[in-house]
Amino acid sequence: MIIAEQKPLDEIMEMISGVEKLLVLGCRGCVAVCSAGGDKEVGVLASALRLGRKKAGKPIEIDEETYVRQCDPEYLEPLKEDGKKYDAVLSMACGVGVNFIADRCPGVNVLPALNTTFYGANLSSGEWAEMCAGCGACILHLTGGLCPVARCAKSLSNGPCGGSVGGRCEINKDVPCIWHQICDKLTSRKQDQLLREIVPIRDWRPSGHGGPRRRIREDLLP
Amino acid sequence: MNRLKNNSYQVGKIVAFCCNYTASVSTDTLRDADLIPENLDVRKLPCTGCIEVSALLDAFEQGAEAVFVAGCRSGECHNLSGSRRAEKRVVYTKRLLEELNIDPDRVEMFFVHRGETQPIVDAVRQMTRRILKLGQLHST
Repeated sequence: MIIAEQKPLDEIMEMISGVEKLLVLGCRGCVAVCSAGGDKEVGVLASALRLGRKKAGKPIEIDEETYVRQCDPEYLEPLKEDGKKYDAVLSMACGVGVNFIADRCPGVNVLPALNTTFYGANLSSGEWAEMCAGCGACILHLTGGLCPVARCAKSLSNGPCGGSVGGRCEINKDVPCIWHQICDKLTSRKQDQLLREIVPIRDWRPSGHGGPRRRIREDLLP
Repeated sequence: MNRLKNNSYQVGKIVAFCCNYTASVSTDTLRDADLIPENLDVRKLPCTGCIEVSALLDAFEQGAEAVFVAGCRSGECHNLSGSRRAEKRVVYTKRLLEELNIDPDRVEMFFVHRGETQPIVDAVRQMTRRILKLGQLHST
């Protein structure tokens, strides 16, 4: 899922400094699952902003709402008109939601409440880790399902850099060397011949270096 | 304890979120003895583990000068880790208050054994002292 985290409150307070009527708009997609922008977080942020503005002597009127998703057009439909009632809509979705509101709801002043950080998995309650870089050219079949693009600090494609010690990455002892894990895994599965395959220099165009990406499935088009 | 009742110092409202099994028993005892200060707003929870950060912030929004949560001591929680969860949410709330330039000492977690009244009295006194030291959060 997409992992995000709330921006510092002072940054949000600065963003809404001239706003008198605000809608804090959550999303029940990824950001709700990673506890950054769901119903609960909407309640906390709205309450904090009201308190902060009250203390600053500039009370603010805040409504709270959470959509099923902010990245699908049907859910944004009501916002096209409702959003105009507010000086600003503070979106607690990932950057996709904010962009989509900006695209689809002209006349709505949308602001981001979150920093969108990475594609990750939930390790335990309150802990997430990056597992995929969305590079657009998956090589997980060669690496035992472990991604060297997202999980190697240098995104190396052909084995470890030589800087790791005891299976830990040289950038930080808390970070496992993913190439160490890949080698262990493929060896234990007797698939170590895969390690001898030379992965060619990566074409980064599918990763976004060729401009904004788009996917089309003809059979689903209207 | 009479000083607690008589000298509520006009410090403003203190909201106490209390565990139904432990701290609420203490506050009930104090209430029966007419020893609950007028400015103390006791809110009972089935378990402090269900306290939400938004509820703590809402209390401030509604005019509290200080807020505390009183839950079971470590190892005595009926729900095993309820008061420990509450403590984490209090810590998180402190961080948010700090970001809003509000002194984090205005919110606190206390641990109380079932039926003990003195820790509640001490908690109210401590929060009262903090309000007096920090000054009013809300203009009257």
